[in-house]
Amino acid sequence: MSDHGNEAVTRARKQAAAQGRAQGLEIGWTVFSYLLAGMAAYGGIGWLIGRAVHVPLLFPVGMLVGLGISIGYIIHRFGRQQAVERPRKEITGDR
Amino acid sequence: MRGVGEVGGGCHIFNGCGFPAPGLQDFNWKPFFTIGSFGFTKPMLLAILAALVVIVFFWVAFWKPKLVPRGMQNLGEMAILAVRDQILRPSLGRRGDSYLPLLVSLFFFIYIMNVMELIPIFQFPVPSRIGFVWPMVFIVYFLYLYLGFKHQGGWGYFKSMIPPGVPAPIYIILVPVELLRFFVFQPFTLGVRLFGNMFAGHLLLTIFTIATWYLLSLSVGLLYAAGSFFLAIFVFLLETLVTLLQAFIFTTLTATYIASSVEPAH
Repeated sequence: MSDHGNEAVTRARKQAAAQGRAQGLEIGWTVFSYLLAGMAAYGGIGWLIGRAVHVPLLFPVGMLVGLGISIGYIIHRFGRQQAVERPRKEITGDR
Repeated sequence: MRGVGEVGGGCHIFNGCGFPAPGLQDFNWKPFFTIGSFGFTKPMLLAILAALVVIVFFWVAFWKPKLVPRGMQNLGEMAILAVRDQILRPSLGRRGDSYLPLLVSLFFFIYIMNVMELIPIFQFPVPSRIGFVWPMVFIVYFLYLYLGFKHQGGWGYFKSMIPPGVPAPIYIILVPVELLRFFVFQPFTLGVRLFGNMFAGHLLLTIFTIATWYLLSLSVGLLYAAGSFFLAIFVFLLETLVTLLQAFIFTTLTATYIASSVEPAH
């Protein structure tokens, strides 16, 4: 392969690696946000209902339910590799 | 400026006083001067210095740009290309080049503020005061919200938050989670991560530096002091990496958030 060809391949590999890094970071922090958001959302709903019906236990129960929903959704969305892939931008030498 | 001995309250192992563990008091600075109820403190000075460093550097580098870059221009171009190729293009592609000035400014401003932790005399990471982090988070937050509404429309933007293929009942269950994640926890984690890392790093450095001083004596304590000194050096080296990594993560996530606003994830 010519020097230009090698250079283009190396550049494309570096770009692919950078793309993977960015995607990994995004997924990692999205998952973390889901875990917090699930607990906060359903913990909050549980707390409100618990306050109305005088059952304080609904607050921790809501948090656990929210955590379960988050984990289930994370598995559904990120469990399969294809589900997380954005439409791939073409990796060409001129990018 | 407080020295190690002063931060440690002048305590030493043979003085009879306990280990002066560093804590929140080491993040509260006496104002240099006050205007009414407003106190001008050291972190504020460092933030202004960091901004000046970034502005002056790029100003000098591109004051009289030449076709064949030399000296500072070379360095400036390398810095910009590094952000473009490692942070912007992997997330946004070529179409995102218009966001390069924002990402370059954010990256270097955060990096210089972080690196203040490791420079003697300054030795304080500005983002360890969370008040300096939120304005940057809000800039990013409002930008990606604006771009999302602009490019996808109100309803389209909300719809893009939940990928297609989710059954209707599950959709309803997910709405509170998605809304909270998107509007609260995504910006929250963006800010708190930077703050937390710099706060913890500074605390670790302070602990081991004070412990080295506290344990230092011409006895077996010398060994403990040497151990603590070694750890201080180790944390220092680790922090040189963390300062860069945190600036990189903040800017990369900014780029991915902008990307998800401009083009919805499928």
